[in-house]
Amino acid sequence: MSSPASTPRLDPDRPPEGNNLRRQVVRDLGLVALLAIASLAAGLVINHYSSQPLPLVYRTPEQRFDAELTTLVAAPPFKIAPAATVGLPEFRATVDGKRALVLDARPSLFFEQGHVPGAFNLSRQDFARDYRRLSPTLKAAVDRPIVVYCSGGDCHDSHLVANALLTLGFSNVSIFTGGWEVWSAAGLPAATGSAP
Amino acid sequence: MTGRDDRRRDYLALAISLAIGVLFTYAGADKLRDPLQFADSIAAFAMLPAVSINLLALGLPPFEIACGLLMLAPRTRRVGALALALTAMVFFSALVSALARGLTLDCGCFGVGAPSRPRMWLESGLNIALLAGSLMVYLRSTPLPRPQARPAEA
Repeated sequence: MSSPASTPRLDPDRPPEGNNLRRQVVRDLGLVALLAIASLAAGLVINHYSSQPLPLVYRTPEQRFDAELTTLVAAPPFKIAPAATVGLPEFRATVDGKRALVLDARPSLFFEQGHVPGAFNLSRQDFARDYRRLSPTLKAAVDRPIVVYCSGGDCHDSHLVANALLTLGFSNVSIFTGGWEVWSAAGLPAATGSAP
Repeated sequence: MTGRDDRRRDYLALAISLAIGVLFTYAGADKLRDPLQFADSIAAFAMLPAVSINLLALGLPPFEIACGLLMLAPRTRRVGALALALTAMVFFSALVSALARGLTLDCGCFGVGAPSRPRMWLESGLNIALLAGSLMVYLRSTPLPRPQARPAEA
């Protein structure tokens, strides 16, 4: 029988010290790396069987929008002058006087939560689908002023949608750059739901 | 440190690990529903090349779900906590870098929202809290050497 001093303790609850602790952290980091690789593999498999799989290389909203626009028009998009911009007083007067067709370029989720009364949802995200849905309204407004807005701030969905409309033959398109942020901050009326 | 304090800290670590586990499982499942939206959120940080954005958008949601689930079981909690601490650290660094560069974006960390700087600050704070919570759970789950309680003096 050996003495307690010479027998190594095999107690699993015994705290590891020094190198043992470092080794445990390194082992845990290795397990995290394995978990990351397994997660990536799972993500690729899920994507493969998804109804709308992502391509492996990212395409910007502008690139995706260009590709979508080519399903509506054969001409190369964005070879035109950018649309004019309007401020809040001018936009408000246009909305109040119903002098223009107002289009909201945000995703439908945000449109339904709140939008400028009378605005139609022509989202950048689902442009081709929304354009076909709104086709009668848009065709009736081909020579009327059209004002497009999005969230405001740095959002550029309104610029993309306005330039697409100019490409598609609409001649009088402008952008309310303040967007929903400025409109709602001014305490102006709002509509909710999917209807204008 | 008394045994009672120790037990109280164990219960606190358990509560934190359950809360973080559920939060990350939910966050991962939410991102999994719309990977394109999440890819756009990642791209808005302007930190990664195009070849890695979609791979991250596809890999991170299952990773978060797996880590969240690992946090729920005692035997796997340690690895889950370390993984989530690293994830929270990466999110925090990305958000602070974007704030410093004057970007206004939707981080996509916990669901979709409108781009907003106040929200970015809020999510940075949340990530710090998640980092602290995950590290606490990791340290409580790792048997560290602890000082022995001194016998009471006569």
